[in-house]
Amino acid sequence: MDVGALFDDVRRMNKRQFLYQVLSFGMIVSSALMIWKGLMVVTGSESPIVVVLSGSMEPAFHRGDLLFLTNYPEEPVRVGEIVVFKVEGRDIPIVHRVLKLHEKDNSTVKFLTKGDNNSVDDRGLYAPGQLWLTKNDVVGRARGFLPYVGMVTILMNEYPKFKYAVLACLGFYVLVHRE
Amino acid sequence: MAQDKPVKINKWDGSAVKNAIDDAIKEILTKKYNYLENYALMDGRLTICGIAVGVAMFALLWDYLYPFPQSRPILIFCVSTYFIMMGILTLYTTYKEKGIFLIAIQKDSSKKDNIWEASSYLKKYDDKYNLILSYRDGKSGTTREASIKKSVANFIDVNGNVVTEIVEAEVSKLHNSLLSERKEK
Repeated sequence: MDVGALFDDVRRMNKRQFLYQVLSFGMIVSSALMIWKGLMVVTGSESPIVVVLSGSMEPAFHRGDLLFLTNYPEEPVRVGEIVVFKVEGRDIPIVHRVLKLHEKDNSTVKFLTKGDNNSVDDRGLYAPGQLWLTKNDVVGRARGFLPYVGMVTILMNEYPKFKYAVLACLGFYVLVHRE
Repeated sequence: MAQDKPVKINKWDGSAVKNAIDDAIKEILTKKYNYLENYALMDGRLTICGIAVGVAMFALLWDYLYPFPQSRPILIFCVSTYFIMMGILTLYTTYKEKGIFLIAIQKDSSKKDNIWEASSYLKKYDDKYNLILSYRDGKSGTTREASIKKSVANFIDVNGNVVTEIVEAEVSKLHNSLLSERKEK
């Protein structure tokens, strides 16, 4: 693939064709964005797909697994379910199992979690002074998973230069290649 | 878009070949016969894409300003609008554009313009390039079509250069046959 020839293609485009190339690129980005937002709306969770980052839930989930979450308000959290939550002040999602639950009559709940592979519960992970989690901290309940697929995301986060290089190449190719 | 050196493309890439021949035909019809290019069709496509991208960007901005649970209704609206726009775009490209890459207006002395439409298609791994040139008479409103179906090997030489003289000869043949038909009738 001659890179010089790709630039020739761009030079030969008139303004409208170039605008169309830019819009095509925009549409690919928008399609991905709209699918993600659509999933957010359908599942009710602000992050419907998460990657397991640590081995604290082995042997159920391993590092690099992809999890599908839902967060329907009509379905209450129950002991034994696997929830993904975010501790206030930190935005790394944590995937653990619900251990204990207190529920009031007006359905406010507070619950305690623990990773299957950890020896202690998560009180050490919560914000200082926080002993229980509430519904607000929950990102969603795990409904399904795909093994190993999330490894790509972990790699891209550990080597950001690799991520930018891949994105830059893809973006350049889409902008320059005609229909 | 002055072209002094011959256009060189990857001769094995089907879409590049079709685009190169289409461009050559556009050059001929606009330069040689001095017809004016009408951008209405392309502008329509650009508008639909522009609206779709605009809606997506709006959704992104709104969700950033008002985090998820509050932005739910707006997100539903934007996502459905986006996919409806995609549907409209597909319908537009399939039924309205139909492979037309050039609409040129031939200004007539009697104030009624004649419209030339050039459309082409080249199947995926096929080498037969189909060109359809249609002529709509401004005065009578009738449309006439002429088409040729030739292998792309006739237009592109072994190095990947488009041989404009051969393209010009073919286009002139079609063009004159459409014009002479009109005079006979």
